[in-house]
Amino acid sequence: METLLNFARGPLFRLCFALMVLGLIRILFLDVWAALKAFRKTDDKRMPWKLIFSRTWEWIFPFKRLKNNFQLYSVISILFHIGLIIVPIFLFAHIQLWKESVGISWISLSYSWAFWLTTGTIIFAVSMFIGRLVIKQTKLLSRKQDYLWLLLLLIPFVTGFVCANLTVSPATYHFFMLVHMLSGELIFVLIPFSKIAHCVLAPLSQVISVLAWKFPPMTDDDICTTLNKKGAKV
Amino acid sequence: MRTNQINNEERIKAFKTAKKSEVIERQKLNVRYHVEDFDVNDRPRRFLEAFAAILKHSNYRMALDHYSRVAARCSHCATTCQIYQATGNTEDIPCHRSELLLDVYRRHFTLGGMFKGRISSSGYLTDEKIQEMAEAYWNCTACRRCVLECPMGIDHGLITHLARYILSEIGIVPRALVISTREQLEGASRNTSAVPVPALKDTLEFLEDDMFEEKSVKIKFPLDVKESEFVFFPAVSDFLMEAETLMGIAAVFAATGDKWTIGTGYFDGINYGLFYSDRILERVIHNVDDETKRLNGDKILIGECGHASRTAKNFMPVFCGGKEATPVVSILEYTHKAWKEGRLKLNPEVITQKVAYHDPCNFARNRWIVNQPREVLKSFCKNYVEMTPTGENNICCGGGGGTVSIDEIRPYRTTVGGKLKADQIRKSGCDILVAPCANCKKQLRELVEDQGINCQIVGLHDLIYKAIVFDESLVVKKEKNPTGKEEN
Ligand code: SF4
Repeated sequence: METLLNFARGPLFRLCFALMVLGLIRILFLDVWAALKAFRKTDDKRMPWKLIFSRTWEWIFPFKRLKNNFQLYSVISILFHIGLIIVPIFLFAHIQLWKESVGISWISLSYSWAFWLTTGTIIFAVSMFIGRLVIKQTKLLSRKQDYLWLLLLLIPFVTGFVCANLTVSPATYHFFMLVHMLSGELIFVLIPFSKIAHCVLAPLSQVISVLAWKFPPMTDDDICTTLNKKGAKV
Repeated sequence: MRTNQINNEERIKAFKTAKKSEVIERQKLNVRYHVEDFDVNDRPRRFLEAFAAILKHSNYRMALDHYSRVAARCSHCATTCQIYQATGNTEDIPCHRSELLLDVYRRHFTLGGMFKGRISSSGYLTDEKIQEMAEAYWNCTACRRCVLECPMGIDHGLITHLARYILSEIGIVPRALVISTREQLEGASRNTSAVPVPALKDTLEFLEDDMFEEKSVKIKFPLDVKESEFVFFPAVSDFLMEAETLMGIAAVFAATGDKWTIGTGYFDGINYGLFYSDRILERVIHNVDDETKRLNGDKILIGECGHASRTAKNFMPVFCGGKEATPVVSILEYTHKAWKEGRLKLNPEVITQKVAYHDPCNFARNRWIVNQPREVLKSFCKNYVEMTPTGENNICCGGGGGTVSIDEIRPYRTTVGGKLKADQIRKSGCDILVAPCANCKKQLRELVEDQGINCQIVGLHDLIYKAIVFDESLVVKKEKNPTGKEEN
C-alpha cells in the first residue's frame, strides 16, 4: 500500500499533471492559432474589445446574468465552481506536497474554510446531479459524460473529506487516500479531452465568436466552383 | 418558469401547415415554410458536400471546434429563448438546436468523430436529421439573446446562420426569401420588393407634395445627387409601406440641411444574406458599395432597419477593404447626433400618448444603438415608458432572422415567436410602440393584430415627422404659394 501511495503521490501525479498541462496548452494553442489565422485573413481588423472584455468579465463574475435572470440552478453551479477551484489549489495539505517536492508554496485555506468549502462543494455537486436528473430541459441536454463528470469530481472531494475529518483506521485511511489521488489524477488526464477544457477555453469564446462573424471575402466563386454551381441562378 | 407557455389551441394554430400534402410528399420535406422544388435525392451526401465546401472557404471550423469543446449542456440558454419559453418543447432549447449541427460536424469532420463512427458505424447524417434541422433552424429567430445567457459564450445565432447557409446550398431555404433575393441580385428592378425606378420617383414626388401640404416646407427626396455626404439605403419595402418613416427622415434632412441622396441605380438596404447565406450577403454588400461609389458619396446611410444596418455596418469593412471601406451610419445615429447638436427641434406638445421603445435585436444585442433613440424620444414624448427587459437583453419581436418575410408562418410568428413580446407590450400599457426596423414593424403589427392588443406600431421618424419644428426661414407662406409644385 505504502509503495502504491508513494507512486500515486510521486511519479504518477507528475505524469498526470504534466499530461493535463500539455493537453491544455495544446487545445489553447489550437484555439489561439485558429483565431490568429482568422484575424489575419480578414481585412476588418476592428475588434470590439470593450464588449469582449465586459462579456468575458461577466462570464467570470456572472452577477449581472443572475440579476437579469435568477435561476437557482445557476446559483448552485456558481457556488459549486467556487469550491471546485479554490479547494484543490489552496488546501494546506496540497500546498505542503508542492513545498516538499518543488519547494514552492502559497497562502492556504484555514481548516474551517476548507471544511465548509469542501462540504459545500459536495452538497452542490449532488444538487447539480439531481438537477440534471429532474429539470426537464437539463435532463434532455445531458449526455452520459455530464453525469459521470459530476460523480467523478465528487470522488476526490468525498475521499479527501473523509481523510481530513474522520477518524478511521490506517488501512481505511490509506485506501481512501489512494482513491483520492487516483481519481484526482484521472481528472487531470481527462480535462483536456472533455468539456472541462472550458476552464481554459471559455475566456476565448467572445473573441472566437467575433472573429467567426468576420466572413472571409470572395468565397462566392470558390464555393460555387466546389459545388458545381457556377452560373446557377440565385 | 414556464408560465408564458402557449395553450393547446394556440399550439395547434401555430404549428398547422398551410402546405398541401402532395407538396410535402414531393419535396420530402415537412416544414411549414414554402420551398422551391429542389433535388431531393441523396440529400445527406449533398449536405455534407456543401458543409465541406463552406468549411474549406470560411472560419467556421474555428468556432465549431471551440463550441464543441466547451459546450457544457447546462441548459441556461433555455431560460432566455422566447421560442422555448412559449412552446416548452425541448427541441427548442438553443443548445439542443445547435447540437444538431455540431453533432454532424463532430461526426463527419473531426478525426475523433470519424473514428468513432467507423467503430460503431452509427451517427451518420440521414434525411430525418436534415428534416429536423430544416425545421429547427427556421423556428429560431436568430435573435442571439441566448448568447447572453450561455456561460460558455456559445453564439447559437452563428450556428443557426451557418446551418441555414448549408441547408440553402442544397435548396432548403424559404421561398419568400429566395425570390426576393433573386429579384434583388438578378432581376430588372434590383430590389427585393421589385419597385421599378419610375414607381419610386412617383412615390417620392407624391410624398414631397404631401409633406408640403402638411408642413409648408419644401422637403425633398434628392435623387442621384453626386458628391452627397450620405447615400441613403432604406429597407426598400419602406417605399411601399412606411411613408411616414421616410417623410420623417426627409424632414430631418430638411431641418439640418445636410446633403443626402437616394441612388436610382440601387436603393435597397435589405440583405437577406444575413439570414441564410454568406455568398448572398457579400453580393448585396457590393451592390450597396458600388452605388455609393457611382454617386461619389461619402457615407452609406441605412434607414430604419435593424438587419440592414447591422449587415452594412459589420460587413462593409469585412467585404470591402477593412479600413478603406465606405463608412456606414444608421439613420438613428444621424438623427440623434443632429438632435444633440441642436439642429433638430421637436415639439414636446404633439405626442401625448404613452410611448414605449422596442429594441431591434440587430441594433441592441451588441450594444450598438440602445440609448440614442431613447434620448431623442424622451425629449419630446412626455409620456414615455420603458419595457423590461430592454437594451441588449431585449426580447425579439418574434419575426427576426428573416422569418417575418415568410407569410405562411404568420400564425407561428404571432403565437409562438412573438408571445413574450406580446406579453411585454401588454404589460407596458403603451399606446404607441416605436420600433425603428422595417422587419420588427411588420411583425409587431401582425402580432398586436393577432393578439388583440390595442397599440400602434410606428418608426422613430414617424413621430419625429409629427413633432418636428422647422426654422421660420424654411416655411413657405401658403397664401402666396398654394402648392410646392408651382414653385419648382
Ligand atoms: S437566437 Fe433567439 S430564437 Fe434562436 S435559440 Fe437563441 S434565443 Fe432562441
